[in-house]
Amino acid sequence: MVDLAQFLVGGLAAGTLYGLVALGIVLLYRSSRVLNFAHGDVATLGAFLAFTLLVGLNWPFAPSVVASLIGTAAAGALFYFVVLRPVKEATLLGRIVVTLGLALTLSGANTLAFGADTKVFPFPLSDIRVYRLSGVVISQLSLGLSAAGVILMALLYLLVQRTRIGLAMRAVSQDLVAAQALGIPSRRIFALTWALAGALAAAAGILAAPVTLLTPFMMLDPFLKGFAAAVLGGMDSMPGAVLGGWLLGVMESLFAGYISVKFKTTLAFLIIILTLMVRPEGLLGREFHRRV
Amino acid sequence: MELRQRYEEDLFLVRGAAAWLATAALLAALAFFPFYTPRYLLFPGILVAINVVVAVGLNVLTGLTGQISLGHAGFVAIGAYTATLLAARLGVPWWLAWPAAGLTAAAFGFLVGLPALRLTGPYLTIATLGFGIAVHQVLTNWEALSGGRMGLAVPRVTFGPAALTSDQRLYYLAMATAVLLTWAAANLGRSHVGRAFVAVRDSDIAAEVMGVNLTWYKTLAFAVSAFYAGIGGALFAQALRHLEPQSFDLLQSIYYFSMIVLGGLGTVPGAVLGAGVLTVLPGFLSGFREWLPVIFGVAIILMMVLEPRGLYGRWLRVRRYFKTWPL
Amino acid sequence: MDAEKSGAIADKGGEATMRYARVFGLVLILAALLFPATAGVAQERGITPTEIIIGSTVPLSGPAAYWGLGVGRGIDAYLKSINDAGGIHGRKFRTVLLDDSYLPPRAAVNVRELVERHNVFAIVGMIGTANAFAARDYIIESKTLWITPTTNDIWAGLREKKYLFVTYPSYLNEGRILTQYAAEKLGTKKMAVFYQNDEYGLGLLRGVKYGVGAAKGVKLVGQASYEVTDADVSAQAVKLRQSGADTVFIAATPTQGALIVREMAKLGWRPQLLATFTLGDPIMFRLAGEAWNDIYLTAYFPLPGSGDNKIEETLGTLFRYDAALRGSPYNALAGVSFIEPLVEALRRVGPDVTKDKVVAAMESLRNWDGAVARGVTFGKDRHQGLNRIYIVKASNGQYVKITDWISYQTSF
Repeated sequence: MVDLAQFLVGGLAAGTLYGLVALGIVLLYRSSRVLNFAHGDVATLGAFLAFTLLVGLNWPFAPSVVASLIGTAAAGALFYFVVLRPVKEATLLGRIVVTLGLALTLSGANTLAFGADTKVFPFPLSDIRVYRLSGVVISQLSLGLSAAGVILMALLYLLVQRTRIGLAMRAVSQDLVAAQALGIPSRRIFALTWALAGALAAAAGILAAPVTLLTPFMMLDPFLKGFAAAVLGGMDSMPGAVLGGWLLGVMESLFAGYISVKFKTTLAFLIIILTLMVRPEGLLGREFHRRV
Repeated sequence: MELRQRYEEDLFLVRGAAAWLATAALLAALAFFPFYTPRYLLFPGILVAINVVVAVGLNVLTGLTGQISLGHAGFVAIGAYTATLLAARLGVPWWLAWPAAGLTAAAFGFLVGLPALRLTGPYLTIATLGFGIAVHQVLTNWEALSGGRMGLAVPRVTFGPAALTSDQRLYYLAMATAVLLTWAAANLGRSHVGRAFVAVRDSDIAAEVMGVNLTWYKTLAFAVSAFYAGIGGALFAQALRHLEPQSFDLLQSIYYFSMIVLGGLGTVPGAVLGAGVLTVLPGFLSGFREWLPVIFGVAIILMMVLEPRGLYGRWLRVRRYFKTWPL
Repeated sequence: MDAEKSGAIADKGGEATMRYARVFGLVLILAALLFPATAGVAQERGITPTEIIIGSTVPLSGPAAYWGLGVGRGIDAYLKSINDAGGIHGRKFRTVLLDDSYLPPRAAVNVRELVERHNVFAIVGMIGTANAFAARDYIIESKTLWITPTTNDIWAGLREKKYLFVTYPSYLNEGRILTQYAAEKLGTKKMAVFYQNDEYGLGLLRGVKYGVGAAKGVKLVGQASYEVTDADVSAQAVKLRQSGADTVFIAATPTQGALIVREMAKLGWRPQLLATFTLGDPIMFRLAGEAWNDIYLTAYFPLPGSGDNKIEETLGTLFRYDAALRGSPYNALAGVSFIEPLVEALRRVGPDVTKDKVVAAMESLRNWDGAVARGVTFGKDRHQGLNRIYIVKASNGQYVKITDWISYQTSF
């Protein structure tokens, strides 16, 4: 029983990270139907920026994080204006390949700029201090990170659902032409979405780095899982992304614990595919409405 | 794109004297390739031929039928391991083992095509990606079958004149296969099957209304595409002469996908061009050491930004420009 | 009309073929003129009057870059330092370092390029068993001198080994020796293994199984693997605890090695820890923190920070030539240990260098101590140069040597 609970705790902690990554992917997909393959590398970039400020320049924690978020947000918007905007002629798949190119560039640049060696990301919370609840252990760090993750998700949800900017973002994603006709500055909204996704990625990277240790490739697996979580939850649903993240995290942890460590990812994907067979639009995604 | 107005114009793959000349020149250039290039370019030439086979096959699926696959390395792996296991364990000659590899991959393609009947876009992407990961993990961990991470030695195929080196013989075999399968794919696009694929891509509901059997054509596209990948895999095994699951991971699938988009989606010459460029480029850049991914990534972005319709699209534009020149 | 057309085409086609045949003829003649010219300069490939060309293909990008950058740039920096000290009998080293991103096909392309384009004298390194296998046949057939860390456990069945030299201990024997030590000296009864699911981790797992079989009263009770991209190993930690092991052997890269130790510490579970020599990297004290103390590891050269003068001197030299190596001192030293025996052999050969003379000189190395590698022994029938390791214990941020050299039988 204790082990089961421990597997669940581990799975939920990993799932929170997956969910955060999934949110960024969903945010962009909703607005422009682009699958951003560079999301994981933007997250790594954010974590490295914060690390450099923290350790290299000895900044305090909060300003380093805020500066990193602003930095990646700016990078996101810049990418939209400099690269994606001029390629408006490109097909959807073309734009996906552009993000693949970006992913390659960023991961190479991260290695060049920050080195390939593994680094410890200093965090105000301790990884060693743990809380025990009838045998189940959770560290201060994982608890704090999960809490931060949930708060971020809630904030993002409020931003998109309860503010004028969020309304504009939803309008653009539902019907671009109608939104433009109504005077919504679609280009600025797209740029804002990219900026927001960049900042969200950095947040995920900064929350992941203390646990997974900081390397240029630390987000490879979380990105892949985040993508899968987003699909499982429904690519156009933000609550779905979070739910998908937790489900995937828990599934993997339980498979690893009780069936097979080696096949945990295969089993998780098998479940996702089976789920999609029943609900092709993901768990919380809205149904396709297609006209012929 | 070039506009064809009459059915008769579509009857010939190669039209006009200039086109014939260009084709003949190209074939001759390929045939004499081992003799006029430095030796170290021969092996990349083999890899290009192999990737052309895979990319042309993937183009049938993604370019013609509109189904995204990020699990194509899985089909390549199935082909590679089938051919090798048949030859190593059962002593099947290569000319039987290789088609068998293609057919085995095609059977798996058919199976993967089934979920595709209900899925589109990112949902299909994740399903195919999951397939790729499953193949990779099975090959990694089922050691009795695949040799696991220890790998599997590939028996060398012997054929052709003894005067040629083994790399040269493999080059001719791979290039001949690539030319043959490319020709077949170009023809497939013009057949009623190809038309059905394109109809499915443009609107599957409309296609069904017009009498295109969706179940059949979607799974067929997967099977044909996987067949190509399987043949490519058999060749790949022969080129590396040692199989190891790591050569067939997600990154490889992503490369195949990038090849057809970068070259020009939906066109056979595009797939060929894309496969050539993306195979040769990293080797070209390998001397840049740590800078390789940055330069490679920027090159991909630039190619897409400067020519959103792919390299073949750029070629068509250049040609159209010269057709009307000096007007 | 069609017939007419095709006739015309055939004519033009014939003309074209003629023209192309002429062009090709020219190209062929040019090629024939050029190639012997380049080949004729040197009496031995890769040896010119002023240069010795050494090639290597390592992962400089991608997830294995930490290993590749340290080793590749370590080799590069070390050879530069030798050049600046006057080179070898008037010749300077030129290093051609290519990136293979840890992908076997690229490694296969790169070795061909090294031999046929850069005309290297020897290929040093090749990280990753898959890459080594993809390049193996070509290197052997081209009769290129190959000094590789790829462990000797995989070379069984290879016929032609004349130009192949292995400068790395065997994982199999390492796992066995450490397990036997734990059984005899540390009171281990139940072993568990945390390993990377590839040839590296599996080789060590096999070694542990050997050791468990050889030692009395020890059982292998649990094993948990991870993939090299895994970022979360919490489930593996719980699983290992479930097994009830009193000793855990860690066969992992620094990142996941540190992660699993941290996870176990989090669970409040403190078994005896053993680890492979690749984790002898001083970086581990920072990554794993306090939990890294009291771990037992093997080593095949004196670890940085353990008070060996030659090692510290070499590190200082390497850092002077390439400051980036400060991030990976262990891997840089490993790179030096791969190439050192070759440099020594070249020194012994004298100014008139041929491949066979170098092979003979390599085979004359007996219990040879370099700056990093110690006790290197090659022979006519022995191309595995390292057959001994010793055991160290981590305490207070340092590795302390606790046994003498322990040697084992080499397999070739």
